Amino acid sequence: MKVEVGARIPSWGLERVTPERMKTVAAILRDPNPIHWDRQFATERGLKGRLVNQSPINLGYIANMLMEWAGPACIRRLRVEFPAPVFDGDGVTAGGEVTAVFSEGRSRLARCAVWLDRSDGSRAVEGWAVVELPDCGPISSTADSHGVQASDQ
Amino acid sequence: MAVSETDLQALVGHRFPGGTYRIAHWENALLTEATGSRPLPGDLAHPVHLFHVPIAGAGVTIAELFALAHADSDASVTIDYYDWEVSKPLRESTTYLMRGGITEHSRKCIEAGPVVDSVTFRIEVMDESADEVARVTFRWNFWRFAS
Repeated sequence: MKVEVGARIPSWGLERVTPERMKTVAAILRDPNPIHWDRQFATERGLKGRLVNQSPINLGYIANMLMEWAGPACIRRLRVEFPAPVFDGDGVTAGGEVTAVFSEGRSRLARCAVWLDRSDGSRAVEGWAVVELPDCGPISSTADSHGVQASDQ
Repeated sequence: MAVSETDLQALVGHRFPGGTYRIAHWENALLTEATGSRPLPGDLAHPVHLFHVPIAGAGVTIAELFALAHADSDASVTIDYYDWEVSKPLRESTTYLMRGGITEHSRKCIEAGPVVDSVTFRIEVMDESADEVARVTFRWNFWRFAS
């Protein structure tokens, strides 16, 4: 697997976020917020009855993209913010781009800009990740030990 | 708004009880499926567990964190950021030890609008050898609207 700065990570998408999955997640997380499972409450909050997907699951879509790309145990760091919510019925697409490739001990790592976009084009999650690369051949870019290049600072 | 900035500043340094957590296979299967992912190989747990496992393992619940920061309601809390640092992937049926607490608080007053208290939590996840598995930091915003 050869990875270069500027390479796009293959996107990962979900055609439709469903309320059934939100309810499962709310139960497992013991998340009491009714905006994830009570449509009447969501109506009263001005959300037109649309349930709000849990933020960790939005981050989970980005994790899925990274794991499909670099392997199921690849994630070393995920740091994200949430500029907009994802609602039930939305489609979502996770994307990413390599911003640095570097070594740490015997591991080869890539720092990546990552995001999650809704089907209306708005950005729901944005941030960065560090992933450990599988056998990736020669490193094609240099950076410091944290993968930080001048353009990241 | 009944809670003062001083009351919230006093939370900085608060430590959670701490404790342990084991991810059950059923829990991993359901949560992994809820992300739309195919099952992960072997006993690997989906990284999304880094949200609730540290909280539960530290001996608190989301509802208790809301109450600790005097949330006006369950729906008055929004996420600012998550930062998950992972040394080793999480696995099913492994006992993890957790310790953590509240590390920061800041208050922002929006002109002619609500007050927002940002509270930062940090929890370390260790294996039974006390080797660090992950460190999670997250900041939640608590919105205070005048009644």
